[in-house]
Amino acid sequence: MTRPQKYQPTWLGKTFAGALLGLALAFILIAFFAWYGPGGIDARDKVQFNMWMIPPLWLSIFSFTYLFNSAKQAWLLLGGLTVLLYTGFFMLRGGL
Amino acid sequence: MKVRSDILRTYQGVHTWTGIIAGLVLFIGFYAGSLTMFKHEIQQWAAPLQASKVTVENYDYQPLVDAAIAEKPVQLAKGFSLDLHTEDAPLSWYVKGGPRGMHLDNELQTAYLSAKGQLTIEQQTENKLADLVDYLHRTAGIAGEIGHDQSGVYVLGIASVLYFLALVSGVIILLPTLVKTFFALRKEKGPSRFWLDSHNLIGIASLPFHLVIAFTVVVFAFHDFIYGGLAQFYGDKPLFERTPPAAQSYHIKDLPRINEQILAAKNYAPGYTPIHVRYSNLNSATPSAVFMMSNKQAVVRGPVTDYLFMNPYTLEVVNSSYPQGDESIWGNMVASIFSLHFGTYGGEWGRWGYFIMGLLGAFLFYSGNLLWIDKRFKKDPTKRSTLFMAKLTIGVCLGSMLAVVSTLITAKWLPSIVANTNYGTLICYYAVFFVFVGFTFVKGTSRASALGLYLLAALCAIMVISSFVILLTTHNGFALYSSYLVDAVAMIFSVIFFALAKRNQRKAEPDRIMPSFNKLSQA
Repeated sequence: MTRPQKYQPTWLGKTFAGALLGLALAFILIAFFAWYGPGGIDARDKVQFNMWMIPPLWLSIFSFTYLFNSAKQAWLLLGGLTVLLYTGFFMLRGGL
Repeated sequence: MKVRSDILRTYQGVHTWTGIIAGLVLFIGFYAGSLTMFKHEIQQWAAPLQASKVTVENYDYQPLVDAAIAEKPVQLAKGFSLDLHTEDAPLSWYVKGGPRGMHLDNELQTAYLSAKGQLTIEQQTENKLADLVDYLHRTAGIAGEIGHDQSGVYVLGIASVLYFLALVSGVIILLPTLVKTFFALRKEKGPSRFWLDSHNLIGIASLPFHLVIAFTVVVFAFHDFIYGGLAQFYGDKPLFERTPPAAQSYHIKDLPRINEQILAAKNYAPGYTPIHVRYSNLNSATPSAVFMMSNKQAVVRGPVTDYLFMNPYTLEVVNSSYPQGDESIWGNMVASIFSLHFGTYGGEWGRWGYFIMGLLGAFLFYSGNLLWIDKRFKKDPTKRSTLFMAKLTIGVCLGSMLAVVSTLITAKWLPSIVANTNYGTLICYYAVFFVFVGFTFVKGTSRASALGLYLLAALCAIMVISSFVILLTTHNGFALYSSYLVDAVAMIFSVIFFALAKRNQRKAEPDRIMPSFNKLSQA
């Protein structure tokens, strides 16, 4: 067990991480859902549902970003996850 | 539940700042949203339709449609509406403007058959009062346009992002004390505690409603951009399949009989009755008929009814907002989210529920602002920004409510003076709003709130008095009047505002949440 890091408010950094990376993550999660989720990409009207689910996902990630210990941690974790998922999607689909 | 105190403090900051930035526009959006639940009733109250011209039961629309097409083939081919439910002239079309967008000088021609079977055409300016209430709801009255949307829509979209953050952070900061104090309304601990308790109780009790409203508004404001982003992940797949236009062009003289179309619409699904049809582009390869389908037994997906899109020549149903069965589980889910925002899933009770939830939501933002002002004032009673926010809160909240009530009264009396009431009502709204905000900034918050509440009580009473004066002076007025409900609600609000005004006046200084700022104003 590592010693728990000191919690820093670092407002601005966390806000940007939540707003930008949260949105990027919401998009890529829905992109996976669109292609590999139930019904696949061609299911009727699914595109509407996909669009509708992006804001709640984004806003949920955004609002819990302030739980990170610091802005740096938020950027590293969310950013890492974003890069990982986008790379995965890129390799599976051969392009955006 | 235990939450670390440093995290708690950060979320307190998030809650405070998101709330104070977004609160005022959301206040307007919420109480105007409550009114939109009854916007057609309100418009009917302000500008009642004329005496009945046709009977609805088994009325045959065919002779009327035939006569109108013979008289105005070009006009009607562009598009017309047929109301299957009205007791007024059932057929209408635009000679200026159109059904979409906010045009204040739309000119409508309406047609009906006289008792002798003679086609009678009348021209009138479309009354936009219901649309103005809706416009206030969607934009908080912020004027101007960006692209094809009102800029206020984007402002409310951004405000709703903050609102979502405020909701989550508000719940998090309540978690440690939630179980103990959820139903506690502590009056004896001073006004700030009482307001805080009510703020928390309402916020938690209606949390699901608020979460739904917050994210649906974000979608309503930004769906074009989100679709644009989503398209990047779809590769070569088109987001939407377009139905190719028919090979040949149609002509209005071949339009099938109205009864056949109604039958086709009814046969598409049991239980639905068409109440209104809107035709467009009848002389083209892409003609369309939009049926508004009413079903009192089912959850409705549009703001008022469900929709059915039909090619009126082939009687083929192109699309609909109906529940689609197992094949379109996604479409059904999306439709349900729409009805969660519009409050159309629970019939009349649902409408009243949403009306009250909307008003409670407005209270949530108002009380939030007051709590912020109270806290900052206790910390530093000379801070100018606190005074500014206090004036803005009283000015905007009371001002916009005063403006709406004045607008309704104006809309009721204007038709006896001018033909197009739309500009008058719009100007009235902004004039009253800005005058009251100005008054608050000049005279201070305590005088403004005292005057504002009494004025609100008086104006609501004038609404009812206006109804009776107009009814008494119109021939046969009472027999055709159907808006008693609006008057009753106005009366109730008049009493509520009067009681609030009295209480506000009686209260001693330490019992008020809103500080008096006396020292500051004199400085």
